[in-house]
Amino acid sequence: MSRVLAALATLAIVASSFAVTSNVALGHEHRRVGPYTFVVGWINEPAYVNAANGLSLDVTETSSSKPVEGLATSLQAEVIVGGGAKKLALDLATDEESPGHYTGAFVPTKVGDYIFHVFGDVGSTKVDERFESGPNTFDGVVSTDQLQFPDRVAANADLSARLDSMQTLVIAAIVIAGLALLASVGGLVTRRR
Amino acid sequence: MRHLAVIVACVLGGAVLLSGAAEAHANYVRSNPAADARLVKAPAEIRIEFSEPPDPKGSEIQVLDTATGKRHDTGPVTPSGDPNGLRVAVGLIGDGGYVVAWTATSAVDGHTTKGNFAFVIGNGPLPPVPQVAEAAPPPSLLEIAGRALSYSGIALGLGTAFFVLFVAPAGIDPRRESWLLCIAGVLVVAGSLMLIVDQGAKLPPRLGVMLGVRAFAGLVLAAVSVTPRLALMRPVAAIAGGGVMTIGPLGTVRPRRMIALAAGIAAAMTATLVSHATALGSLESMALDFVHVLSVSVWTGGVVALLWCMLLASHDDTAEDARALGATVWRFSVSAMIATALLIAAGVLQAFNRLVLINDLYETPYGVALAVKIVLVLVALAIGALNLLRWGPRLRAGIRARTALIRDTMAETGIFIVIIVAASVLTALAPPAQPSASAYDQTQHVSGLRLEMLVASGGAGRNTYELRVHQGLAPVTGAEKVAFRFTMVEHDMGQQELVATERAAGEYVAEGSPTAMYGTWKIQTIVRLAGLEDVSTVFTVPVSAPGGGGSTAAPPLTIGPYLVIVLTLFAVVVGADGNPVVGKKLHATFSGPSSQAPLDAVEDPATFGPGRYKFDVAGLDPGTWKVTLAIGNEGTGAYSLVVSR
Repeated sequence: MSRVLAALATLAIVASSFAVTSNVALGHEHRRVGPYTFVVGWINEPAYVNAANGLSLDVTETSSSKPVEGLATSLQAEVIVGGGAKKLALDLATDEESPGHYTGAFVPTKVGDYIFHVFGDVGSTKVDERFESGPNTFDGVVSTDQLQFPDRVAANADLSARLDSMQTLVIAAIVIAGLALLASVGGLVTRRR
Repeated sequence: MRHLAVIVACVLGGAVLLSGAAEAHANYVRSNPAADARLVKAPAEIRIEFSEPPDPKGSEIQVLDTATGKRHDTGPVTPSGDPNGLRVAVGLIGDGGYVVAWTATSAVDGHTTKGNFAFVIGNGPLPPVPQVAEAAPPPSLLEIAGRALSYSGIALGLGTAFFVLFVAPAGIDPRRESWLLCIAGVLVVAGSLMLIVDQGAKLPPRLGVMLGVRAFAGLVLAAVSVTPRLALMRPVAAIAGGGVMTIGPLGTVRPRRMIALAAGIAAAMTATLVSHATALGSLESMALDFVHVLSVSVWTGGVVALLWCMLLASHDDTAEDARALGATVWRFSVSAMIATALLIAAGVLQAFNRLVLINDLYETPYGVALAVKIVLVLVALAIGALNLLRWGPRLRAGIRARTALIRDTMAETGIFIVIIVAASVLTALAPPAQPSASAYDQTQHVSGLRLEMLVASGGAGRNTYELRVHQGLAPVTGAEKVAFRFTMVEHDMGQQELVATERAAGEYVAEGSPTAMYGTWKIQTIVRLAGLEDVSTVFTVPVSAPGGGGSTAAPPLTIGPYLVIVLTLFAVVVGADGNPVVGKKLHATFSGPSSQAPLDAVEDPATFGPGRYKFDVAGLDPGTWKVTLAIGNEGTGAYSLVVSR
C-alpha cells in the first residue's frame, strides 16, 4: 500500500514539475488560429501600472507543439486601450533562448483592461486576432497601492483627477471673486451718486 | 394694454413655477410573474404593482404570445389587492415566451405610462421585449394649457388676496383687486375645464373630484369679485374661513378678501392633492409641496398685485406719496422674502427626494427644468433685492423712484416669460428618483456617464444584472462592450465576468449565477465605447442568505433534547473603494417590542472574513426592531429588522 502511495506521490510531483517548468504561463490566453496556437499575456504578471512590461506572445504549431520562429517581421502587434481611444504599435522582439516566443515591451500607465491586437501572416495563414484581458483570459493592469511602503505614491491618473477637481474649484473661486468685485464696484458707484 | 400684458406674463410665469411641483406617473415596480421570469407552469393571472395608484378604468394589461401575436388576457383589468396593484386573468397558455404590455393611468393626475416585460414557460428562450416608443408620453397641449391656466389663476387669486389683506394700505382702490380676482377665477375655472376635457372618458374619479373642487374655488374667486355685496355677508366669511376668520379684526372688515384667500388656498390644496407628492403617499412630501405652492403664489401673485393695484395706480409726485409707496413696497418685500425663503427651502428638500445625483440637474429633463427654474428664481430674487435695497429706501426717503420700480418689476415679468418658454414642456416629466423593482438600485456618475446598476434579486444564485447607461440627456446605445465582473469581499472566490447585451436603448442586461454565495460582492462594471477609454466603476452589492434581511440563522444546534437556533447579526463594513474595512469598533443598540441590551461586535477576520463583524444576540422577541449601528465615533445608521416567530 505504501508503495502505491509513493508511486502516486512521485507521479504527482513529476506532473506538477511539468506545469511549473512549462513556458506557458497560467495567466495567458490560449487560442487556436488556423493550424497554430497563440498564447498571449503579459511578460510580467501581475502587471502593475507604471512598471515595465509588455506583450508576451508564443506561437506553436498545434499538431506538433513545435515553436514557430521568424515571425517578428511577418506579424505585427499593437496594444489598445478601451474602444480604441489610444493605440500603440509594438516592436516584436524574439528570444533566442525561447523559440517561438515574442515580446513587445511597453509601460502600461493605466489600471484596467488592455487589448493586444495581433495581425499579419504566419506562413500562409492570415492572422487578425484581438486578445483582451479579463477573468477568463489574462489579468488586466493592477494598481500598486497595496504594495507601496512606507509612503504611498498617488497614481498619475489619481493626480490628474485631483488636478481636474482643483481646476474646477479654482474656476469657481475666480467667478465668485469676480462677482464680489463687481458687487463692490457697483456699491461704490451707487454710494458716490 | 401694456399693463394687461404685464399681468398676463406675470401670471403665466407663476403658473410655470407652480407646475413643476405637480407630477405623477404610475411606473412599474414589480409583477407576478416577475420580469424575465422562467416558469414551470402557466400563470392564471398577471399582477403588476406600480409606484403610484393606477386607475383600473384607464389601464390595460395585454398578454401576448410572441410566436403567434395572439392575446391571452381575459376579462377587465381590476385592482389586485396589492398596494397600487392591478391584475388581469390569463387564459390557458402553453409553453413558450410571452410579453406583457401594460398601460397604466395614474389615478392621481391621469398621466399615462407604458411598458413591457417578458416571461417564459418551459425551457424556451426569453422573448425579446419590444421597445416602447413613449414610455411616459408627454402631456397634450390642452393639458399643458389647462395646467398653466389653472395654476396661474391659483397664484393670482391667492397672491392678490394675500397682498390686499396683509400688505396693501387700507385706502387701496377695491375695483383694481376685483379685476385681478375675476381674472384669477376665470383662469382657474377655464384651466380646470380644459383638464377635464383633456382626460375625457378616462378621467379618474379622484382627479375629477379634485378638478371639480378647483373649479368651484375658481367660481368663488370670480363671484367675490363681481358680487361684493354677497361677499360682505358675515356667514359666508365664516364658512369660508372655517370660523377662524370671524375672530377679532379678521372677522368683519374684509370678508370678501378672506373668502378670496380661502378659495385660493383651497385651489392650491387641490394642486398638491394631484401632485407626485400625494401619489407617493408621503405626508412630509405633501406638506413641502403645499408650502411650495403657497409661497410661489404669495410671491408671484403678489408681484402682479403690487404692480397693478399699487405701482400703476398710485403716484409719487410728492414726498409724502413716495414715502407711502415706499412703506408698501417694504412690506411686500418682507412678505416676498419670507415666501421665497420658504419656496427655496421646500424646493431644496423636495429636490433631495426627487434627484438621485447632483448631475441630474443637467442630465435629466426634470433636472434641467428644475435648474432653469432655480437660476431664474435667483435672477428674479436679485431684481427683488434691487427693489428692496435701492428703490425702496429712496421712496421711503421721499425721493421719486416709482418709474424705476415699475421698470424692474417688468423685468421680473420678462424672467417669468423665459421660464414659460424653457419649462412649459420639460416640467411634464417624471423626476429621476423613482421606486424600483430591483433589490439593488444605485447610480453613479463616472467619466461623464450616468451608470445605474440594478440587480433584480437580493439573494444568492441566478440573477439578472442591468446597467442603464446615459450620457447627458440621451441613453448610450451601441456600446462595444458592457461587462460585469464579480468579486466576493469576504472570501477569495476568484473573479467572474458576464457580458451584457443591449435590451433596450441604453439598457444592458446579463443573466447568470456569479453571486453563488451570500455575502458582499463587488460588481465592477466596464463600459466600452468606440474611440473612448473604458469607463469602469465598482458597485458593492449585499447578497443575503435565504430568508433575507441582515440577520442570519446559524445551523440549528442539538443540545440534549433541544433544538437551539442561534440568531446572529452580521455587519459588513466596506470602504469607498469597495474593499472590506477591518479594525473598527461597531456598537449596536436595539429598540423594539422588548428590551435588548446594547452589543459590541466581535471581529474575527480569520473566521468570518475581512470586514465582517458579528453581534451575538441571545434572542429577540417577534416584531419589528430598530437596530442602530455606530462605527466608533464616525457615525451611526439605523435599519429595521423583522423577527418572526
